Amino acid sequence: MTGEAAPDDDRALVFEVEQTQPMPLAGSFRCEAGELMALVGPSGAGKTSMLRVLAGLMRPTRGRVRVGGETWCDTAVGLFLPPQRRHVGLVFQNYALMPHLDAVHNVALALLHVKGPERLARARQWLDHVQLTPEQQARRPAALSGGQQQRVAVARALARDPRLLLLDEPFSAVDQMSRRGLYRLLADLRKDLGIPIVLVTHDLLEARLLADRLVVIDGGQVLQQGSPDAIHRAPRNARVADLVGIQNRMHGQWIGPAPEARRGLLRWFADNGAAGQPDTGMVLSVPDKGKLPAGQPVTWIIPGDGLTLLDAPPEAPGAGELAVRVVDARFLGEITLATLSVEGMHGIELRLTLAGPKRPALTVGLRLGVQLDLDRVHVMPLRS
Amino acid sequence: MDWQALILSLELAAMTLAVLLPLGLLLARWLAYTSFAGKAWIEALVVLPLVLPPTVLGYYLLVSLGGASPIGRWAAEHLNIRLTFNFLGLLVASVIFNIPFLVLPVQRAFEAIPRQLGEAAAVIGLSAWQTFWRVELPLAWPGVLSAIVLTFVHTLGEFGVVLMIGGSIPGETRTIAIAIYDRLQAFDLASADRMALLLLLLSMGAVGASFFASARMTARR
Repeated sequence: MTGEAAPDDDRALVFEVEQTQPMPLAGSFRCEAGELMALVGPSGAGKTSMLRVLAGLMRPTRGRVRVGGETWCDTAVGLFLPPQRRHVGLVFQNYALMPHLDAVHNVALALLHVKGPERLARARQWLDHVQLTPEQQARRPAALSGGQQQRVAVARALARDPRLLLLDEPFSAVDQMSRRGLYRLLADLRKDLGIPIVLVTHDLLEARLLADRLVVIDGGQVLQQGSPDAIHRAPRNARVADLVGIQNRMHGQWIGPAPEARRGLLRWFADNGAAGQPDTGMVLSVPDKGKLPAGQPVTWIIPGDGLTLLDAPPEAPGAGELAVRVVDARFLGEITLATLSVEGMHGIELRLTLAGPKRPALTVGLRLGVQLDLDRVHVMPLRS
Repeated sequence: MDWQALILSLELAAMTLAVLLPLGLLLARWLAYTSFAGKAWIEALVVLPLVLPPTVLGYYLLVSLGGASPIGRWAAEHLNIRLTFNFLGLLVASVIFNIPFLVLPVQRAFEAIPRQLGEAAAVIGLSAWQTFWRVELPLAWPGVLSAIVLTFVHTLGEFGVVLMIGGSIPGETRTIAIAIYDRLQAFDLASADRMALLLLLLSMGAVGASFFASARMTARR
């Protein structure tokens, strides 16, 4: 376990966990105050378990949770505060509102330390804050829509003045309309609260839209963390590329350094090359950090915006210019998702998203050219 | 009409509940929320009074609480009390034979509460005790209410166990059910008739009212 050595005298969250039972969990991350961090990964990846460790609902075999300079859990010294003693706000996936209480009393339940009529007044303030009308505030959860229930759950989580806000798939059960309103609410909260916010989601678009930092989790392991952009540009390995939904994933072999400085040569395979498949004849000069041995089988990616459509196939394909044919074009509102097959490279397809005036001209069967921006190519070693 | 017997029955039912309700709530909650090896045997023990013939249950209670038994001897020596053929013995027996009537519905009611609500309560700062009073008990209340009514009515009507352990001592152990039997034996059909009808109406009214109330409570969720 390698904790970051950064001082945590501020309001940041510092988290480390390592266990194999009852489910494997391993990794560490840090979330600054005012920062929104998204834990992403497929279902069953351990995202919710990490949240439960943070909230004190699950005791890890080995782990450490520090928030705002306060230690909530440190198994090395046998410390594990129960949820009641952590100032944590948790919005459950299905909200877990008390069905026998109306919205006001649901929030008031988090304010038992406040005495007398002040308690209900405070509860109403929080519900006003999340924009629930007085009439809605008097309803029980069953009489509220999913979006309204969620606002109650957020108000309840905030009512305890948390030093850490945790959101477990908060948008999964709300329709698109209320979702947008909730995104705005979350953005406002982040500004106003100035505490670390950890969001669990399997929706990458949502994660990229909302989060400052992503933590990619699979099989209970933290695979990579960083800004959405950085992870997208340079996923650590093929699994991360898969998990963050990078579509243009290719196989190849690392040849070695190129004549130019800080560049290397990459041979592009039509498949993973394991079966002695002849290569495609295309060698690309791409950015190189000098970490890969020559001959290493690799996976490489190119983001959709590293592809430029050319009106006609190039005269002589090579150097990142390819002749392609449109095999599929889906018009989705304001964008089009296009799938292009690369001529002369059996089975290789590129996917890109298009917007703008050229879009309607894209028809299936059309021959075009594509220019690869080789500076955007990211190469990862293939784990055997 | 044997009013003394009716009042005795009502007293017995009320005191049975007073003793059994707190213990039963704890036992039911424990059975609902924990799992451990051998739990099935404890649950079987809870159900046993429901399936045993009242005479068998009464017989074992008589044997284990009587003056010759270790429990009976201990109670006589240290507490100077008898546990058979008096109201106290009746109460002890009544508590025991009512365990399944109270515990089973309450256990089901606790089991039906989503576990996540307890976690949500902990996260918003509620202690286990506060969670019990403010979340679990209100949510389990329809089940608890019907268990209370069932236990009460069942105590009013119990015959076999009462006869075995209490006999028919007026003002001490002669409950309304025993009184009906006595009247019938004495060919006082008119009295038996009135008391039987009263017991029928009382039981029907109580059970009906509790079902109505819990249906309304459930519908409001």
